Amino acid sequence: MTLLARLLRDWRLTLTAGALLATLAALAAPQIVQQREARDLLLVVDVTGSMNVRDMDGRSRLAAAKEAAQALLAALPCQSRLGLGIFTERRTFLLFEPAEVCENFAAIDGAIDGLDWRMAWEGDSYVARGVHSALAIASSLDADLVFMTDGHEAPPLAAGTMPPFDGEPGRTEGVLVGIGGTEPVPIPKYNEDGRETGFYAESDVPQENRMGPPPEDAPTRAGWNPRNAPWGDEVAGGTEHLSSMKAEHLQSLASQTGLAFVPLEGPIALSTAVTQNTRPRLVEVAVDTAPLPAAAALGLLSILFAAAALTSRRPERLPA
Amino acid sequence: MNAWYHEASVMTRSWGVDHPLVLALGLLALLPLFANVFIRNGIPAIAAFPPDPLSRVLGGGLRLVSALAILALVAGLAGLHRRAQTVLREGTGAHLVLLLDRSSSMDNSFADRAPSGDEQSKSSAAKHLLGEFVAGRPHDRIGVAAFSTSPMPVLPLTDHHDVVQAAIAAIDRPGLAFTDVGRGLALALSSFADDTAEASRAVLLVSDGAALIDRRVQDALRDAVTRTPVHLYWLFLRSRGAKSIFDVPPPGEDTPQANPERHLHLFLQSFGVPYRAFEATSPQAVAQAIAEINRQETRPLTYSERIPRHDVARPAFAVAALCIFLILLAKLAERPLRRTGFAREATRPPQAAPVIARDGQRRAA
Repeated sequence: MTLLARLLRDWRLTLTAGALLATLAALAAPQIVQQREARDLLLVVDVTGSMNVRDMDGRSRLAAAKEAAQALLAALPCQSRLGLGIFTERRTFLLFEPAEVCENFAAIDGAIDGLDWRMAWEGDSYVARGVHSALAIASSLDADLVFMTDGHEAPPLAAGTMPPFDGEPGRTEGVLVGIGGTEPVPIPKYNEDGRETGFYAESDVPQENRMGPPPEDAPTRAGWNPRNAPWGDEVAGGTEHLSSMKAEHLQSLASQTGLAFVPLEGPIALSTAVTQNTRPRLVEVAVDTAPLPAAAALGLLSILFAAAALTSRRPERLPA
Repeated sequence: MNAWYHEASVMTRSWGVDHPLVLALGLLALLPLFANVFIRNGIPAIAAFPPDPLSRVLGGGLRLVSALAILALVAGLAGLHRRAQTVLREGTGAHLVLLLDRSSSMDNSFADRAPSGDEQSKSSAAKHLLGEFVAGRPHDRIGVAAFSTSPMPVLPLTDHHDVVQAAIAAIDRPGLAFTDVGRGLALALSSFADDTAEASRAVLLVSDGAALIDRRVQDALRDAVTRTPVHLYWLFLRSRGAKSIFDVPPPGEDTPQANPERHLHLFLQSFGVPYRAFEATSPQAVAQAIAEINRQETRPLTYSERIPRHDVARPAFAVAALCIFLILLAKLAERPLRRTGFAREATRPPQAAPVIARDGQRRAA
């Protein structure tokens, strides 16, 4: 009897030969090159005083931002690059340029962990200008921007108008991540040794921006004098000493600069939002195709032995 | 129990799988215990066969080989690999913290004006030379800290120099206002807090100026240096017109307020740890100073080298292929029990003729 005839008639032999062929195919299987989407990101974290507010389930906004940033770092596929900057005063300060995330994971993770409000060099918080300068840096690095802030401008914007944006909206894509609760809560105050000493009171912070020309309604204010009291003679009152996430302001800032605005809800939601709103860079990864024939071989062997076990049971009675 | 756990933890530390759940398929390896690949042959009585130890051994061996084939396929599918390992090697190098001045004066040229033409700013000269310095020291663990108005931790000590280069690349971006050297030094020293290795530790301070150091910060720095002895290097990028840190001014003018750089130099000298200051007034002088530091910091260092992960899926498939080949050989060697026509015909009624015909074919084979 020829081998072919045996193969056709004996399913055990057929399955064994098939399993051998599949295993040999697994050994010879080529690696195919697949394209995957990596991201180049510049992550900027607001380290101003209002980020110390503890309204993220009892943690400070900065702690929540750091945790979200670390989760984002962990979710980025290999060959993505992440750079880190901090924002305070009126501009963004680059700590390091984007570096590959998998190889340098521990260092980048440690750098994010090291972010602290004490790194801030000034108490001011011109968020809009910080975002503008972050966009300029990101565009010079050819990276997209992830800017984490609560959107609390301190001092408040002059006459409530957004500073003009010089850049080209949408040239750099990215996400403005809003951090903080919706209820205005007091901002912790620290002394020069970095110890918490209470909360900012209404008179501690500028309630109105008195730089530049006075607003148009100034002449109607009490005690207004065009030379001596162009903003009126009353001390401005307000709620600038309380802080909440300024979603409306961040939304208009986002539409001014062509970014997307996403309130921080969870790490997964954040990395989805970042994936949706940043430009992918196609990178090539080698994918092994061996598992397919190997799985087939395992399947064939299992069928072989299972079927053999079922058919080789001693029959209840001998065949007649 | 404890010994088992220890063994297991050693195993999982050096070996791993990508898809642990796939390992559950390993239960399929029990199937060959219940079956083999041969055609079942009915025999009238077991006593009709003489005891045959060789066949028993071969049969058991085939079961084992079959189980091994399934296990090897499962292991390969689960992505068995030897994990990336770190091995300790001896080399020369140091644990180094780069403490970089990011004040805006670093953006000026050595002539202390905005760089024009082919002039280099101090920060970009420092950037290029530090980049080369780091590239030439592959075994160092390097951390980066920056200071200006406030100290800023940039990177913890790391073996991965890509990200260190990325941090050095960022130093020629516009800087901030002031130069708070004291707190910057305190931050750099604190980078060594978790570093228990028996390595040479060094802080390389790159700045173009200094400022008064608060009395309390001075005390804290002395404490920190006593706790973690380090080698200090100060690369002073001196602009034209700035006073040298080595010149002794006339009496009465030698105050920290008038000469903060010189007094920082004296303060660092007073620590009693190895300390060298380099004064560089041009990019070439910076290069010389960096070469000198490179030469100095060549003490023996135990550094860890990473061996990348090693996939053993292919070897596992090769083992499976070999096992299946053996099974196939055994299968090809299989011969049906020779049934004599006489015995069959004697026990069967005549209407079983088709069966006989089939048996006849088989014999013909």
